[in-house]
Amino acid sequence: MTVRKTIPVVIVFVVAVVVMMDYFLVLPPVSEAGKSWTSGAVTNIQNWGIILSAFALGFGAVNLFYFHSRHISRRTPGQWMYSLWLLIVIVIFTVIGVSMGATSDGYSWLYNASFFALSATVYSSLGFYMTSGLYRALRFKNLESGIFVVVGLVVLARNAPALTVYFPALGVWGSFISDVLTTSAQRGIMIGGALGAISLGIRTMTGRETGFLGKLTEEEKGGGAVA
Amino acid sequence: MSGQDKSIWDTLENIPREVLYGILIVVFVFPMVYPLGLPVPISENVRKWYRTIDELPSGSVVLIDFGYSGGGEPELGPMAVAVYHHLFKKGGIKVICMSTSIEGPQLWDKAMAEIRPEQRYGAQYGVDYINIGYIAGTETAMAAVGKDLRATTSTEYKGNSLDQYSIMDGIVDATSFDLLICYTTGGDQSEGWVRQWFTVYETPYLCSVLAMMVPTMLPYQNAGQIVSLTSGAQAGEMESLVKMPARGIKSADVITLTHILCLIYVVVGNVAQIGKKSSGGGR
Repeated sequence: MTVRKTIPVVIVFVVAVVVMMDYFLVLPPVSEAGKSWTSGAVTNIQNWGIILSAFALGFGAVNLFYFHSRHISRRTPGQWMYSLWLLIVIVIFTVIGVSMGATSDGYSWLYNASFFALSATVYSSLGFYMTSGLYRALRFKNLESGIFVVVGLVVLARNAPALTVYFPALGVWGSFISDVLTTSAQRGIMIGGALGAISLGIRTMTGRETGFLGKLTEEEKGGGAVA
Repeated sequence: MSGQDKSIWDTLENIPREVLYGILIVVFVFPMVYPLGLPVPISENVRKWYRTIDELPSGSVVLIDFGYSGGGEPELGPMAVAVYHHLFKKGGIKVICMSTSIEGPQLWDKAMAEIRPEQRYGAQYGVDYINIGYIAGTETAMAAVGKDLRATTSTEYKGNSLDQYSIMDGIVDATSFDLLICYTTGGDQSEGWVRQWFTVYETPYLCSVLAMMVPTMLPYQNAGQIVSLTSGAQAGEMESLVKMPARGIKSADVITLTHILCLIYVVVGNVAQIGKKSSGGGR
């Protein structure tokens, strides 16, 4: 293993072990408040994580500037005007947010009148695509799709509040579908995902997974020598 | 005749999307303008949510996560508002809000403008309720607040020190809270609170998510990790229980009619397909 890989992997290993120990165990010596000696260290680690997350937001904005400035300077066809508009909006929000405060009336007005309205509109427009998709895709073509159609119809009907008043059986069928069929399938997916996350965590802690280190040569990864 | 039949089924099977959208808009707008007052049955989950808050003893402290984004506000906002009405109506409950979504503080302001706690309930900011703002890091933020709130943030959302607000007296970590409520448009938040708070501190947890997220969260509720799971679309039910009819109850008619329209679309699409097949036009 090279230094470029060894040091980050050791840091990840130590931090992960301390955080996991604190999550699962209360190791002596224990303070009067009943907290383990790892508690203070983990509080600091978590606060670093929060600071890094906040930093990443700012770094993302800088990266956006860098990426879209190139489009503007190169006049990329069909793109540069959108890039310019994006940067103008970022500047407006930043200037008002920094000068007046992110909870000021001015900033709130700007947010409600632009981003909030657009965001809600874009999300709501999904309803149209879903309705059209429902009409064209939910078809009885074979046994599997037939089961899908029947289950879909029951769930749709059950989710219409007034229908469950007139047809109480929908509630029973709907509950069976959601509580038995959906939950059991979802549990399988979740357990599979959790096992994957555990194995990825172990691989990362032991340096077998190097994606988080960025681009490494084969030699840096600990594999064969580079030609 | 056969050729004519075939063309009818063809037309029916391939209704232009503009027509589908047009009918949807009419069905959507009509009940908004002329409310039909269709019945809104109150589901067991909403009742359980209501009971959980109703049974809180006086002096209880509740943490609310405004973890949704602007796109989800039309669905989750009415639920958040109705639950706040319940908490303020009940009285004697300290309500501390934080956000794991960066838009949370703005959306909280929007909710408060709708609720008007001072005018309507005589509730005071900093005494009965407070917002400690957005804390970056999602699951890391949840864990950090649970471990030591003051070490994570020392100010409320406008940047004033938490020490000057009496509501924060004695609030140290997750054990200081009697109930956790989360409204979210993201799985990271809804599942994160289970992992970082329920599992570690066993804080009773109420969760409201987008309707399409409910299936992914159901296993947590069925395992007892969430006391009650609701979708924002059930806001009308909550408003009925709290007796504060607002946006949620208004949208209940729309939800019923648009779902019925979707049922009709599925039936028509399938009838057209079967008709085409039986008239010899199917593949």
